[in-house]
Amino acid sequence: MILLGTIAENLIRMGLLAALCAAFFYYRVHRRSTSRMLRMARNSYHLATLLLMSAAAVLLYLILNHQFMYKYVWEYSSTALTLPLLMSTFYAGQEGSFTLWALYTSIIGIFLMRYASRREYEAEAMSVYSLIFAFLLLMLVVKNPFELIWNAFPADLMKTGPIPAGVTNIAVLDTLKGLWAQFPAEGKGLNPLLQNYWMVIHPQILFTGFSSMAVPYTLAVAAMLKRDYSSWIRVATPWAVSGSMILGTGIIMGGYWAYETLGWGGFWGWDPVENSSLIPWLLCTASIHTALNQRKSGAFVKTNFVFSLLTFMTVLYSTFLTRSGVLGDTSVHSFVDPGMWVYWLLLGCIVLFGGIGFGVFFLRVREMPRVRSQHAVFSREFALFLGAFALSFVALFVAVGTSSPLITSLVNGKASAIEVAYYVKTNLPLGIVICLLSGIGQLLWWKHSNTGSLLRSLAAPVLLSLGVTTMVYVLLGPEHILILLFTFCAAFSLFANIKVGYGVFMGNPKFVGGSIAHIGIAVMCLGFVTSSRYDTKATLSLERGKPVDALGYRMTYVGYKQIDNERYAFNVEVEHGGVKKVVAPFMRFNTQENSTIRNPDIINFLNRDFYVAPVSVEEGGQGTQKSIKLMRGQSETVSNLKVQFEGFEFTEAQRAAMMEGKEFAIDAKLIVSDGNAKKHLDLKMKTGPKGAGYVPSGFVASDGKNYEFVISQMMPSQDDPSKSSVDIMINLPADGTTPQRDETLIIEASIKPMINLVWAGTITLVIGFLLTIVRRVEEAKREGDKWSSEG
Amino acid sequence: MKAKIIIGGIVVVIGIVLAAMNFLESNVEYADFSTAEKSHKKVQVKGEWVKEKSSSFDAASVKFSFYMKDDARRVVKVVLDGAKPNNFELATSVVAKGKFVNDEFHATEILTKCPSKYEGTSEAVKKTL
Repeated sequence: MILLGTIAENLIRMGLLAALCAAFFYYRVHRRSTSRMLRMARNSYHLATLLLMSAAAVLLYLILNHQFMYKYVWEYSSTALTLPLLMSTFYAGQEGSFTLWALYTSIIGIFLMRYASRREYEAEAMSVYSLIFAFLLLMLVVKNPFELIWNAFPADLMKTGPIPAGVTNIAVLDTLKGLWAQFPAEGKGLNPLLQNYWMVIHPQILFTGFSSMAVPYTLAVAAMLKRDYSSWIRVATPWAVSGSMILGTGIIMGGYWAYETLGWGGFWGWDPVENSSLIPWLLCTASIHTALNQRKSGAFVKTNFVFSLLTFMTVLYSTFLTRSGVLGDTSVHSFVDPGMWVYWLLLGCIVLFGGIGFGVFFLRVREMPRVRSQHAVFSREFALFLGAFALSFVALFVAVGTSSPLITSLVNGKASAIEVAYYVKTNLPLGIVICLLSGIGQLLWWKHSNTGSLLRSLAAPVLLSLGVTTMVYVLLGPEHILILLFTFCAAFSLFANIKVGYGVFMGNPKFVGGSIAHIGIAVMCLGFVTSSRYDTKATLSLERGKPVDALGYRMTYVGYKQIDNERYAFNVEVEHGGVKKVVAPFMRFNTQENSTIRNPDIINFLNRDFYVAPVSVEEGGQGTQKSIKLMRGQSETVSNLKVQFEGFEFTEAQRAAMMEGKEFAIDAKLIVSDGNAKKHLDLKMKTGPKGAGYVPSGFVASDGKNYEFVISQMMPSQDDPSKSSVDIMINLPADGTTPQRDETLIIEASIKPMINLVWAGTITLVIGFLLTIVRRVEEAKREGDKWSSEG
Repeated sequence: MKAKIIIGGIVVVIGIVLAAMNFLESNVEYADFSTAEKSHKKVQVKGEWVKEKSSSFDAASVKFSFYMKDDARRVVKVVLDGAKPNNFELATSVVAKGKFVNDEFHATEILTKCPSKYEGTSEAVKKTL
């Protein structure tokens, strides 16, 4: 029997072969160009892309048709998902996300091929690029998305002999041997945390960004092979800028996802998965800045090569960190341990591409032009250089923090993670420097100034940002001096860039991209400060119908509404300054797995977010619970009761039952009295073949109220029975002292001032990037025309 | 030019030293309950939730308490600042970050490892047959 998945599996293998051929043929073209070899190389690359696309189409087809005989389909999808979510399960697991990465890499390669061929870069660039593509395909050969489920669980699913009646979903594997397998009728489904529309768009953008990070590396290696140390920078810049823009958008989107639906409470948690895309982004952005310098003065040749190589190397390193299982238990994201193959393959690939990139670099480094950079301290070039270095140090510190489990296990032999505070503390000074430089650097560029004219141009931005900082201090309150300095520098960058941007726009609107991008970053930085340093939080118990005042808002829980089988929305009326709005955070209770997923809700005001995360809901009518710990012979008063612990009892009969392997019980003997009534209570722990359980026991007080006692932990002491102790949970009845409560919703409410600045800054940043891309593409086009007219 | 390099070098060295100190300071080591009890430092303890023992959420103080067994098989009551974490019931193992106060482990953060995001188990296969 030939299955569609088996065909697709082989398509990927053939694709790997084709990609390797493409790399080899392109390398031959580099050595000695013939049109036949070039044609073969191109065809091989196109063939590899086509094969991968077909395999990906098969995977999508299998998912859409619920073919649970494939382990990947079973693992991540189910028949209950809506179409967009069902499609998104394509990349819900490791195999699928590697497929997506490979797919985007292959498509970007087609554009790169056309682009590079017009600039005589095709042979070298595509040779390197095809090798990267081949590595991703090799990953898919090892981590096969088309693994059949009975091969994964042969002991449970593969059977021989006659097929019993009534068994459905059968695949006959071998008629001669009578070998057959049963496969699931339903999939495990998608993790509920991922079930929202962000899952449909965010990974796509992130992986496009991730894939595009390979291009600067490719072009750098190609340039060194070609011994082109100067014009390559114009060829590479449009790719670096667009890669940085796409990856940056993906990163912020992930942050918004975490903030809006995952209920992390903030948009950035310095989690390894977030960091792993931030590190390449920082380096890519740094390279854009030093590239500007090289274009201007011809200096920083080596720096640019190193940054471009590192951009991709950190992509590989981050992938290694998050995909090989080395981070283990140290993050909120859970990391699959994918087995040794993936581990060594990822490690091998770091060595391979590191070896190629830096190997070629060390071969060529001596012949690279040495341009002495004679920059004054107050020059734009020097500011760019410092800014890029500050960015790369942020990348370094983030990488070190993210690798902390790896570092500590190498040094101490035991892995441990770092506190989030580390990232803030180490990066804050660098953030201050970066903001300051992004303001000064832009002013210097625009004015081409000497010290005197610079100082004059500084006056207005400095005064305005002093004003902003004072405003933040007065309106929002005092903060750490470094935070205030960061606020000042971010505001300074904002005003300096507005000033420069206005001037540039009046001159040549095409050149305004840089200023706008920096305005975006500055606005984001201000938003970071106001929303995460000046946020206020409160945890509140909202009894239904009873208003609670907190954080300057009046909140009333008005009841819940069932959304579907599992989801319940909890409506809370929020009143502030005469305006009433309703937030409806929801919780998802899965009774089958007995799990709760909480989703926050947000009221977005112009100058702040009111953020409500549900914590839990307590049913009404119940009294409260009280837990106590008692040593043997000790007594304690709970509510109106005196509770005394007499000791444990393990009778001979029960001991005999234990020896025979039957169910047996151990009692904790209590004496409970309320002044009038007095009773011996025996709290039982029963242990049987099905496990242990505690049996509750009731006490009726003389006023007729019911108390319920249950053990929560037994701590018998073998050597000295007088040291035995027990933990008891007592359910108190509803009475005058513990008033009858209505259903109560517990929420965590917080106010995030000016968080809109973060999103507004992001949009501004993307616009800035787009304008820059348009300009750089035009420039690269002119470069291309020059080549074709020469050639 | 020379002066610029020297000043730059000094700044970089100071920065790296500060970052390294920061790294050591914010490093939270893995330990079991017994070492945590002795050291009184903030540590992370890996273990599993003892589901047979009672767990409760106290709405007034917003604390979730449960019993956890560490890798050395010692069972200790853990009190978390906050509600029961998402996906807690699904977790095959939990990591609690915090320190020992009296006889309890006061956790500020709990990480859960969920099997649903992991490789499937044969148990799960049988359920969906």
